[in-house]
Amino acid sequence: MKKKTLRAALAVGLPMMLAAALPMNPASAGDLKSYDSSKPSFWAHPPADWFLGDETEAQKGLSPIAGPATPTPLADLQNDIKKIKLPPGFKIEVYATGIPEARQMAWGANGTLFVGSFGATNVYAVTDQGGQRTVKTILKGLTMPTGVAFRDGSLYVIAINKLLRYDNAEASLDKMPDPVVVYDDMPPYVAHGWKYLVADKNGGVYIPFGPPFNIGIPPTSTSQIRHVDMKTGLAEIVALGVRNSVGGDIDPRSGDYWFTENARDWMSDDTPSDKLNHITKLGEDFGYPHCHQGNIPDPKFAMGHKCSEFTPPVVNLGAHVAPLGMKFYTGSQFPAQYKDNIFIAEHGSWNRHTYQGGRIERVIVDANGKNAKQEVFASGWITGQRDYFGRPDDIIQAPDGSLLVSDDWAGAIYRISYAK
Amino acid sequence: MLTLRMLALAAIVSLPASASLAAQGNIPAGQEKAKPCLGCHGQNGVSSIPGIPSLAGQRDQFIQWQLVFFRNGRRANPIMAPLVANLSDEDIRNLGAYFASLPYNTVVAAGTPDPDLTAKGKEVAAHHGCANCHKEDFRGQQAAAAIADQREDYLVQALKDYRSGARPSTGVAAMTEAAGGLTDDEIPQVAHYVATLGPPGK
Repeated sequence: MKKKTLRAALAVGLPMMLAAALPMNPASAGDLKSYDSSKPSFWAHPPADWFLGDETEAQKGLSPIAGPATPTPLADLQNDIKKIKLPPGFKIEVYATGIPEARQMAWGANGTLFVGSFGATNVYAVTDQGGQRTVKTILKGLTMPTGVAFRDGSLYVIAINKLLRYDNAEASLDKMPDPVVVYDDMPPYVAHGWKYLVADKNGGVYIPFGPPFNIGIPPTSTSQIRHVDMKTGLAEIVALGVRNSVGGDIDPRSGDYWFTENARDWMSDDTPSDKLNHITKLGEDFGYPHCHQGNIPDPKFAMGHKCSEFTPPVVNLGAHVAPLGMKFYTGSQFPAQYKDNIFIAEHGSWNRHTYQGGRIERVIVDANGKNAKQEVFASGWITGQRDYFGRPDDIIQAPDGSLLVSDDWAGAIYRISYAK
Repeated sequence: MLTLRMLALAAIVSLPASASLAAQGNIPAGQEKAKPCLGCHGQNGVSSIPGIPSLAGQRDQFIQWQLVFFRNGRRANPIMAPLVANLSDEDIRNLGAYFASLPYNTVVAAGTPDPDLTAKGKEVAAHHGCANCHKEDFRGQQAAAAIADQREDYLVQALKDYRSGARPSTGVAAMTEAAGGLTDDEIPQVAHYVATLGPPGK
């Protein structure tokens, strides 16, 4: 009862006082937001304010954006990519088109490129015969099958709360087998429920679990990264305090897992920064929702915590740039100084007054996370103050050492290659 | 003078086009393809059939997304499914361009606004942030539908379908989330408010 009264007083009194003092600060007013996630209904209908609701008056109208309904026709896209800027010696071309909402990519052992999708419910297979590429929709009707991986002849697909295995996948492109559910101890919410898969060499896979809202006290089983054994389904939590992560990779130098993380919204156009993180010990906490970008306590959810309690990011990538898929470069096509560099696909912002991101970032960093430097590697997908012709969302290295980049806006895959 | 002004106008007009989405539909081709649509959706894209939405002046990208949803079965509809099954991506872009080009209907199908329902509906719309995506005039933007003066019966059904998840949403499930919190009372209120807005500036 006492708690309720205090809450009521806060809800009525504080917003008025703070609204006058801090008009730009959306998170300082009112009650701490928490959610009762103990009932299944919560997971079916997460709070309506998960991406809207915390914005200030100045931010109103920056609404969720939708890409084009149909993939960009090849001729248009070939014209569009003339806008892409790359370092000298690099070139970009269209690798494949007609792939609605293309997301994570994974190579089959025999050269099939598997591609997940966002809302399109599909998984695609891109095959190459003498440079002639064919796109085939091999799976339909899955809920946000954004993440794909390939191991020992099997295709793994994650569709929100089910990790599915399709055996003998490359020989079954015309008719995929019924899947085996490998792991399903996951909540079914869609908000930040789409996932990314990073398989390691030992039969394990890293899976991120975003919170079903912008910011709040995360319900149990979210805001974490798990490592799941794909044979046994045994899982362990390897990282906590993680907001929405939709990308990661294993450092070929150390075997450590690195991951990108999208920071909270509605603080401002320039804070907090999105992050590149590095897990060095089991179960470490990266700060969400208490601390952002390593040094900004949340205006509401710091709750007495100091940023020094949490693992800071290796690199702050910039606010609203939306870093998604990433890869360490292990090829030999690019100049030697690119070896072991990280390439990050930045999807770009949707609720910043002037978009940023929508590019490929290059991070040069030691295996221990020291001496990090970052620079823009490829840019030009943003075509106006708030316009895209495409949005990069994942990166994979091709066998010849070139990079493939998927784009869920244009429904396409690009190839970036280097020649002296 | 006139030439300069025309040039300036041309520049203003061409700017948004060059910055906008890549593929533009062909309006005459869309008009040809739209012939089978008009029996239900109205000769001018203004529906007079209960439950069937008007499409005149609808947002190009919203039309296209709905056709994509019908074609791949994500929006299940036994009447629409066979009609769109063989549409190509190009057909879909042309249909979007055609319906978007038709003059917007501002004749209120629902008749005279009910002051009580309108007032409540206005509150609901404000509380749920409808204008965030549909804009202050409720004429929409990009893939967010124009809903001002749409048929009230259709709006009620659409909100129920979004709420139940029967209908998919663009914009990272924006409508699923927005409608998820609407009560049974609020749906007819907000539908009535939006359906009876009438001409802008009225």
